[in-house]
Amino acid sequence: MSLFARRRVAILSTVAAATIALSACSAPGEDEESSSSGDGPIKIAVVNAQSGQLSSLGAWELKGVKLAVDEWNKAGGVGGRQIELGVFDDQGDPTVGTNLARKIASEGYVAMLGTAESAVTIAMAPILQQEEIPNITSGQSPGLVAVKSPFLFLNGPTSTTYDETLAKYIVDTKGIKSIAVITNNGSYGKGEHDAFLKALSSRGVTPVADHAVTTDQKDFSAALTSIRQKNPQLIFVGAEEVQSGLIVKQARDLGIKAPFAGAAPQGTPVFIDTAGAANAEGTIVSSPYLSNEISDASRTFAAAYKAMHGEDAEMHGAKAYDGAQIMLTALKNSNLATGKPLADAIRSTKHAGLLGNFTFDETGVGIFETSIGTITSGKLIAATDA
Amino acid sequence: MQVTIQTFIGGLSLGAIYALVAMGFSLVYRTMGLVNFAHGNVVMIGAYFASTFYLSAKLPFAAAMVIALVVTGLIGIVIERVLRPLENKDFDLMLIGTIGFGIVLEALAIIIWGATGRAVPSPVPGAPLDVFGIRIRTYDLVVLAIAAAATAVLVLFLQRTKRGAAMQAVAMDHQAATAVGIHVGRSNSIAFMIGAGLAALAGGLVGPLLYVSPAMGGTLGIKGFAAAILGGFGSIPGAIIGGLCIGVLDGFTAGHFQGYSELVTFLVFTVIIMVRPTGIFGERTVNRA
Repeated sequence: MSLFARRRVAILSTVAAATIALSACSAPGEDEESSSSGDGPIKIAVVNAQSGQLSSLGAWELKGVKLAVDEWNKAGGVGGRQIELGVFDDQGDPTVGTNLARKIASEGYVAMLGTAESAVTIAMAPILQQEEIPNITSGQSPGLVAVKSPFLFLNGPTSTTYDETLAKYIVDTKGIKSIAVITNNGSYGKGEHDAFLKALSSRGVTPVADHAVTTDQKDFSAALTSIRQKNPQLIFVGAEEVQSGLIVKQARDLGIKAPFAGAAPQGTPVFIDTAGAANAEGTIVSSPYLSNEISDASRTFAAAYKAMHGEDAEMHGAKAYDGAQIMLTALKNSNLATGKPLADAIRSTKHAGLLGNFTFDETGVGIFETSIGTITSGKLIAATDA
Repeated sequence: MQVTIQTFIGGLSLGAIYALVAMGFSLVYRTMGLVNFAHGNVVMIGAYFASTFYLSAKLPFAAAMVIALVVTGLIGIVIERVLRPLENKDFDLMLIGTIGFGIVLEALAIIIWGATGRAVPSPVPGAPLDVFGIRIRTYDLVVLAIAAAATAVLVLFLQRTKRGAAMQAVAMDHQAATAVGIHVGRSNSIAFMIGAGLAALAGGLVGPLLYVSPAMGGTLGIKGFAAAILGGFGSIPGAIIGGLCIGVLDGFTAGHFQGYSELVTFLVFTVIIMVRPTGIFGERTVNRA
């Protein structure tokens, strides 16, 4: 009995070790079959957080990618070959990410889609560059461009674009000058903070308050009460979906009536649910994908997404869908090339996607505009005066 | 001044949650000498049960909480039953076993409820009270009241009932307790069950304040554990004071040190623990390991 119980616990405890070990052990000698030759499936890796704090992002991304690949596979694949997705969990952790980069290289994946977390993608980029594996990421930090890897592409605009568009609307169109800023000190929040303040200072506006919170913080009473005393006309939030939602909810509880503004996360259903629809009302959002109702293409996408996954599509899924479409189109156009030729094929792919018309420049960015939307009755709709 | 009072109030409501988490840690520790590393994840499971019964089954919040408490308590019993053969044999394996359980629970939550998580609307509608410009959420008052009531019930159970006294006896000397006919395994089982129940209470109450997701156990677990240590590990009043202290401390460091608040909170925590290693109420030391 005791031996059995001991083994049972040993098994449980090895779950922890195994998760780490699985991602760590990628022996260089593992069968290095090139999947671009022969007629087996084409292997594409999807790396994203499937567990931990950022797993909701990872889940959306995966759903978008799956939908795109499913459509191609049903239409006969690329060059007569099916596409096989390998899903890897980076746990939102750069260290795990670098291990996965080596793993997908040794297992013969020709390309990678993801991650949604800029810090992880930046950590993986040097290895992917060395192994010549093209990567289309969903990150948006300007740091991704600074890596200068010819194998790294973005499936959306960078924070600079998001926040420049937002500042232009708020300051130039709306004439709002009294702005408070609250951002978290993670890689995303820091990028938003710098990009938005840069856009403000180029317009000669200094924020009336500038508060940083940690990524784990749950209670914002101190920062929000001092923001309330400054009585700003608008509050800029630079944080992920859930934290942004909590900030807005607590601000309303503290009696702050000013509207909020932010980039992509503030347009998501998770943000609106966390804040509460009434509290999120009037939030100004800068996003490349305002809603599923924007065009015929987005309506078709949303319907197919709902049919496949049983839930409403949102921006991250749409971005990942665009990224996967670009990758597969490039594979097709280059006649199933790998390495540098595939990267060149991605760069020369002109794609009319859900986010707009992709035309990649040498930095790997393909889209340079976002739209302004406002949350009205719990839904993000395009601003009429933008 | 307004900022100071508002920060204090904001810290109190999360502090009450940390206190409930800390009580679960302490109860298991004082009875078994074991740190249950799965406790944070049990909080998360409790939050999911409560929100599922409240949102999906459309039960009243109170009923959903009671069911969540019972179901999560049963999970506590299961954890203890699986780990029981290791008691007195290999304590380190038992510790690692609780870590394993934590990972299993998180994975199960992702399989059952998905990775995205859910927001829980406040069960107490209505605008916050406004007292001289200080805003107090009605739900915060509910949380504080329930936490106080739970503490009172737990203390009464431990001090006034035969079963509670038996648990105290096991905590003090489990061999002597066995000799006088107390079933140590059953006592441990009850400790785990109550601990899990407290976790469900904390998780269920924190749902409407925060956001229910498979990863929520991490921070709550760490803050709750720190609260238990600060108050004196194993002490029930210590857990309460420790929880409220950590919550309020967190609020103030967030105001003054912004992005470095976490660092400062734990630096202060470390200094207090260095000055007083047994914590605030830590006169009783349990050493079974």
